[in-house]
Amino acid sequence: MSNHEAVKRVPGAGLAKGLAVTFRTLLRRSVTAQYPEVKPALPARSRGAIALLEENCTSCMLCARECPDWCIYIDSHKETLPAPEGGRERARNVLDRFAIDFSLCMYCGICIEVCPFDALFWTPEFEYAEYDIRDLLHEKDRLREWMWTVPPPPENDPSGAVPKEITTAERTAGPLTPGAGGDRDGGSEGGAGE
Amino acid sequence: MDISERTVGVGAGAAQTGDAVSAKDMATEDMVLNIGPQHPSTHGVLRLRLRLDGEQIVSAEPIVGYMHRGAEKLFEVRDYRQIVVLANRHDWLSAFANELGVVLAVERMLGMEVPERATWARTLLAELNRVLNHLMFLGSYPLEMGAITPIFYAFTEREYLQAVMEEVSGGRMHYMFNRVGGLKEELPAGWTGRARATVAEVRHGMVRVEEIIHGNEIFRARTRGVGVLTREQILQYGVSGPIARASGVDFDLRRDEPYLAYGELGDVLRVVTRTEGDCHARFSCLLDQVAVSLNLADACLDRLEALPPGPINQRLPKVLKAPEGHVYQWTENPLGLNGYFLVSRGEKTPWRMKLRSASFNNVQVLKELLPGNLVADMIAILGSMFFVVGDIDK
Repeated sequence: MSNHEAVKRVPGAGLAKGLAVTFRTLLRRSVTAQYPEVKPALPARSRGAIALLEENCTSCMLCARECPDWCIYIDSHKETLPAPEGGRERARNVLDRFAIDFSLCMYCGICIEVCPFDALFWTPEFEYAEYDIRDLLHEKDRLREWMWTVPPPPENDPSGAVPKEITTAERTAGPLTPGAGGDRDGGSEGGAGE
Repeated sequence: MDISERTVGVGAGAAQTGDAVSAKDMATEDMVLNIGPQHPSTHGVLRLRLRLDGEQIVSAEPIVGYMHRGAEKLFEVRDYRQIVVLANRHDWLSAFANELGVVLAVERMLGMEVPERATWARTLLAELNRVLNHLMFLGSYPLEMGAITPIFYAFTEREYLQAVMEEVSGGRMHYMFNRVGGLKEELPAGWTGRARATVAEVRHGMVRVEEIIHGNEIFRARTRGVGVLTREQILQYGVSGPIARASGVDFDLRRDEPYLAYGELGDVLRVVTRTEGDCHARFSCLLDQVAVSLNLADACLDRLEALPPGPINQRLPKVLKAPEGHVYQWTENPLGLNGYFLVSRGEKTPWRMKLRSASFNNVQVLKELLPGNLVADMIAILGSMFFVVGDIDK
């Protein structure tokens, strides 16, 4: 039906073309990553596993409540601190158990977003597959261990709004050094030391 | 198209016919053949019940629901941030576009203005997501027809794009980057430059895909004139997206009912259409759409760099409640029209959220499209309908 398309072709031209591609590919460097030997370079925002900075956790349960599939388990008890001189007794929460079931987790990051005390972080680590699904339940010591692999967050795009952490810090400590994100027109290669 | 057919064996049906002489007179029973739910040529768990007369399909019925996860019901007990998690999973190849519909619907109900940078960044990411989706099908479709190489090329390009998406959102497939009022986080410094380099890289890589498969004579022979969808069938079944445009239905929400920043991209946005409506037209529609999307991505990057500094999201109240009412938000997803009908009674969860997914409507037309074709062509037709089973079964 489409006669105008049927330009007389040399028989086997398609085959020759295919072989030419094969030959060209033979000369090109492979793009395959040799995974177990060579680890992938993952960006800082990569959602691999959730790390818990136990010291920051007040067991407020916000993360467990907001989790869309309820895979965070928290147990805590109240402890009364003896009254310091001239003061009164203070109650404080002690975290007994904090566990994330990674076999249920959907890796959405809502728990990290809602945590008001910066106790949860993403780490790009991903090599924690298990033979038994029950071993994917990470208790708080294992979650604490992930903390050592948490990378610093990437610097924001210079045309974005100044993050609220920096504005609050500047309000108390004065202007930050250029490059730390507070200085808008300064170069970003400056000492972002702290 | 003419179908040549040869009867090479006589089945069990012949025994009952007694002394019938020619194969034509034999009263044979049609054979019922189940394709799927577990079958190498189907994507995921779509099941087709075919009635065959020899090699020819007499009737076909898509049986859906093997992967029904009750997304709509789950939406009703999730707040608007949690819905985003669920919504990006029904069509896992266009996660960003799925999230987008949800947040656009909620923003419309709230009457919320989204910062300009967020709008342009969303448009950019939506187009990159479209390229990722199309690359998947541009690779897997030739694979089903016996050409193995294109999928490696397609996945090479996908990998570059996924790295860009992962850097900005942290996810390779389920981005979870849209929030009501903007995006989750600011773009990382230098990301726009890397995104621009990747877009150029993918544009370069697309030449390879096009060269190896599009002009291939075997590929042409198997797809030309096979599975022709007419304009009437498209309109009757509510088929949308590249499949509809391959049959000459010139409808694209990005142009016809612009959302995000598409209204300002009119000079870059070219709606790709074909008139043939066969498998080859559908495939080449997809191929050309990639080029258009890459151009759109470049235009978005230009605008993002030219925009004055500003926020990328809005401060939200602790408890976000959509006001009482209802809204229907549809978007041009990579595979077709995706719509959310959101009914709110002023609570922090929707009262009802109906999901209109592209693939669900697109596969229904198989019932009309498959009969009359040979089983071997079914593979070609099925692959060219570009669906994701999660999007069918929701």
